Formats: sequence, C-alpha cells, structure tokens
Amino acid sequence: MRTTRGFIAGGLALLLASAVVTQAAEGWTEFRARPGAGSKALIEGSSNIHDWRVQGLIIGGGVEVGPNFPADAASAKPGKLDAKSTVRIPVRSLKSIKEDGSPYNAAMDDIMYGKLKMEEQKDIEFTLSTLTLKEVKDKTCLLDAEGELKVAGVTKKITLPMEMTFPEANRLKFSGQVDAKMTDFGIEPPAPAIAGGLIKTEDAIKFSFDWVVVKR
Amino acid sequence: MLARTWTGGIFGPHMNRMDTTQDVTRRDFIKGGSVATLMTMLGGIELTARAAEAEAPAAPAAKVPKTRCAVIGLGSWGREIVSTLSRIERAEIAAVCDTYGASLKRAARSAPGAAQVQDYRKILEDDSVPAVIVATPTHLHRQIVIEALEAGKQVYCEAPLAHTIDDARAIALAARKATSQHFQSGLQLRADKHRAFVLNFIRSGARGKAVAARAQYHKKQSWRQAAPSPERELELNWRLNPETSVGMVGELGIHQLDASNWIHDALPVAVTGFGSTMLWRDGRELPDTSQLVVEYGNGVRLVQTCTLANSFEGEYEVYYGTDGTVTFLGSKSWLFKEADAPLLGWEVYARKDSFYQENGIALMMDASKQASHTQQVADVITPLQYALDNFLQTASVVKAAAEDFTETYGEDEEALKEHMASSAVPRQPGAGYLEGYQATVLAIKAHESILKNQKVELPANLFELA
Repeated sequence: MRTTRGFIAGGLALLLASAVVTQAAEGWTEFRARPGAGSKALIEGSSNIHDWRVQGLIIGGGVEVGPNFPADAASAKPGKLDAKSTVRIPVRSLKSIKEDGSPYNAAMDDIMYGKLKMEEQKDIEFTLSTLTLKEVKDKTCLLDAEGELKVAGVTKKITLPMEMTFPEANRLKFSGQVDAKMTDFGIEPPAPAIAGGLIKTEDAIKFSFDWVVVKR
Repeated sequence: MLARTWTGGIFGPHMNRMDTTQDVTRRDFIKGGSVATLMTMLGGIELTARAAEAEAPAAPAAKVPKTRCAVIGLGSWGREIVSTLSRIERAEIAAVCDTYGASLKRAARSAPGAAQVQDYRKILEDDSVPAVIVATPTHLHRQIVIEALEAGKQVYCEAPLAHTIDDARAIALAARKATSQHFQSGLQLRADKHRAFVLNFIRSGARGKAVAARAQYHKKQSWRQAAPSPERELELNWRLNPETSVGMVGELGIHQLDASNWIHDALPVAVTGFGSTMLWRDGRELPDTSQLVVEYGNGVRLVQTCTLANSFEGEYEVYYGTDGTVTFLGSKSWLFKEADAPLLGWEVYARKDSFYQENGIALMMDASKQASHTQQVADVITPLQYALDNFLQTASVVKAAAEDFTETYGEDEEALKEHMASSAVPRQPGAGYLEGYQATVLAIKAHESILKNQKVELPANLFELA
C-alpha cells in the first residue's frame, strides 16, 4: 500500500515537473544534428615543409531557438536572437586528409590526438552564450556567436562570425570560419623530435565548418 | 584442437625458423642469396618503396594507442601471430586461446601478460577485448568467426576463410552484415606496403601489357606432426585429412593466387590442376606435389607449382609483360626490362641490387650465413606484421567511428552504414571479406582440380556473394 501511494506521489511530481518544463520551453523549437546532412569541420594549418588539414564529419549537439528566432531570411531582423546551443565534435573523429579529401596519415592523427589530450578530453565543445544577427545579405543571415570553446581541456571565450541559411524547411545551416592559435588552448605546435626539430608546425590555424541541424 | 600449423616461407617472417618438420634450412640460406644475385646479374632493377616513402613528410613520433586483442588457435602459425603481435607497438595481447594446454603454454612465452583461455567463448564475452585473430584450423573458422562477429568483435580470420564454399560464404556474409565492425582476411600480402608500391608501378604500365605469370611454393617438409595420442594426431594433422584440408594450394598457394588476381585486377575463368605424391608416401590421401594453370579471360595464365618434396628456389612470383618482367622474392622485387622497352628515366639512377654486389653474400654460403646472423629481425617488417598492424589500427578506427556516430546521432542503421563506408573512417590496406571469399573459392576449386587432375570452369557468379 505504501508502495502504491509512493508511486502515485512520484508520478504526480513528475507530471508537475513536466508541466513546468513545458511551460519554460513554450515557443522554443529544437533543432538537432543529423547524420548525412552535410556537416563538416575543417582545421587547416601549415608547417615549414607543407600545409596540413584535418577534417571531422561528425558534429553533434543542437540548437534551441526561441520566439524571436527568424523562420526565414526574409523575416530576420538585426539584434540578439533567442538561442541556446551546445556543439560537440568527437576528437577521435578528426582525421588528417589530403587536398583531395582522401585520408592522409594515421601517424599524424595519433600526434593530433595526443596534442588534443584525447584520452581525457573526448570532445571539442562550443557552448553558445549570445547569438547576434548583424545583417541579412542575399538570403543569408550574418551572425556573431559568442560563447565558450573548449579544446584539449582549455576553455576560451570566443566570438565566432558565421552565416546562417535556411536550405529547406525545418533545416538550418551554419557556416563560418575563424583564425586561432594552438597556444591559445595550451597546445604546443608539434615539432617532431624524429626530424631533429627541423620540421616546425605553425601556431596559427584556421577553423571552418558547415553545420546542418534539423527540426525535431 | 585449435592448432594451425605454420609452414614458413615468405608468408611467414623468417624462412628458417621452422619448428615442425624436416626443413632443409641450409638450402634456404643459399636460395635467399643465389636467386637475388642471379637476378641482379641478369640486370634486374630492384623496386623499393623508399622513393614513395620519401615523398611523405616524416611523421613525428606519437604515442600509439594500444588495441587489446586475443589470438584464438595456437598452432605454430597461431604462435607466430602471437610472437609478431608482441613486436607491434599498438598490440596489447589480452588473451591467448587454445583447447590444448601445451600450445597455450608455448604461446604464453611471447605474451606473458595475456590470459590463457581454453574456451574461446570467454573471450567473446569479454567486452574489454574488442579484436580477435582467428588462427584455428581452417574447418573450425566458421563457427568461431560468426560468433565473434555476432559478439561485436573486430575479426581477423586467417586464410583460407574456410574449407568449403558454403562456410566461406557464410563467413563473408556475416562480415558484410557487420557494417560497424572491421573484418580482415589473412591474405597478408594485400597489407604489405612494398607490394602496394610495386602494384602501382605495374599499373602505371612499366611492365607493358601482361603476358603470363609464374609462381611456386617449394619447401621440403612433411606436414605430418607427431602427437602424444591418436586423437591429438587427428587434430594436429588436419591439413592431411581430405575432409578438413584444402591442400597445399589452399593452405599455402592461396596467397600467390590472390596476389595474381590482385596484380592482374581480374578473377580467373578456369583452373586446371595436376597432383601427385612424390615423396611422403605415409598413407596420406592428399598429393605432396601439384601444378596448376590458372586462366584469366584475356589469354594470360598463371602457372603455379607447389611441392613438399623439394626446396629449390623456395617461393617466388614472376609477372611477365611485353616491356619487362617483375619478380617478387621475399620482401624484394626486381624489374627486368626488355631490350626494346621504352626508357622510364628513373631506372638510370636506380640501384641495381648493390647490397648483394657489395657484400657478395649470394655466391658464398658462409657470407650468406653471416649476413643472416647479423641481420636485425626488428628491421624486417613482414607481410604478417603489416597485416596485423593494419588490422589493429583499422579495428580501432572502426570501433571508435561507430561509437562516436551512435553517441552523437543515436541508432540509425542506414546512416551508420553510409558513414562507415565513407572516407571519414579511413582503413589501412588489407584484404576484406570479399577478397577473402574470392581467394578461398579459387583455392577450393583449384584443390578440386588438382585432386581430379582436370580442368574446372570458374563462372563469374561463383565469386559473387549472394
């Protein structure tokens, strides 16, 4: 009997909590990353012997957009947008590639994983704090995404300029690129001992991405 | 029961390290040097992968992630696999498995930290061991491999896949179905970097148009092993049992057959075999000597001889073309150009096997011996080592990719299948289930042809999976 009563009480509490959550989320819409939607992250850099590039095709997470978030480019107006987002890229899904996109070198991947402290830090994460629509140009919304980027366990506040388009109903596509330095995240640019220190990787990198999310 | 015999050869790492039967090791020393020198004297240009490797930027040393694995089946070949794994940086041998205690103990010498297991199912139940290498006798592959795939393991299955086409098909289909797992067939030449380099060279047209091919596997050895009991004798000598063996061509020649298919980029249309017992008249029903003619549809034929009655010249492959001939001997290759062949350019500067010329080991048995003694084994990367290293590396990448995908996007079988087949999941060179299946089918049919001493047609659909 006590068990039944407890169960009913628990159920009521859950219903009440659900109602509160529903109330809080009213007017908000969730978009989630989907496989095969065309998401891609690219990190490019250089060294004194050749350029290099690393690609990731798994970009997880999602965006919750609020009442003032535009349904299309035509209705978009400059200003702060209601949006919450966390994006994650599994470190081990990043692979070095050649210019033509084919796999490059597994040993290079292992070096990168070491530098990104993959064993302790499984993901690269970006948590959005403020999303500002600057202007609308040719059906493209130009945005500034402020937030925290966590790489190799080091968190930095960044502003990420990006574009948002509406490729089709129920879909949002975010694209952008930003310059950064490895040392900003405590990563010493690789200087392979095997080459007697003659090969030096540049500190500067360029991060670019396409991220497509689909309405749930 | 779980014992696969290693018979040595280029398909094993050290031609002279035989631990089974009557091997003529002295000949191996002569053979290794004499053929090499002969080829050089004939004007052979050594094909090395160094030029290609030099183009790639030097990779800085990185911490290589370990992959836990288990070896199931610890005959002499299984133990060789354990020994090879012990030299591979990314390999962590978590367990070794055999139903025969003595084999377990012998294998454990190369893997002191590994668990010794007699029932392979215990390994399949252990989630901390993601990869298994199946080196049991061929006829025991099917059950173990399929159960391993069903248990979510990454699987390396020794070649041939099976002793019957039905079993080989069942294994290949199970591997094909396991889209988020890695399956590699033990056709280790497909993983050999040197082979890949020479293949590119051949495909570039340097040999001209294909004319013919020749291969041989000669090694004087009985194959019969002594055993403490009749039951163990039956288990141990499964290669001599017509019910469980696909003969020399299946257990040894399959690597050359597959290499020929690979190089000719074609599957054969017919095979004609001849077999006879020339030395080991100990009651065995399988021939100890065979000749095989493998026909490709375009008039090109591979002639392969296998014998356990003679060791002369060991094993090698020769691929003849209108502009030149490419030979494979151990981990080396040479090109012999025709007099009227166009100048490639680079061959003017290419080394003409100066290693042998400078040291003169080929013509002096003692010198050859000395060279063998001083050669650092660790410097020689064998096809088996390439194959196992590549297997573990790909197994790790495939496992990680499947986990990351599922954690990120949830269960979506079709999307996962597409992702696993994409360039986002880079795989190291190695034979997959299809190559394994096709080579197995060819070997089984070749064996059948040898037993019948007659031609066997090979329709294209024979090589297709249902």
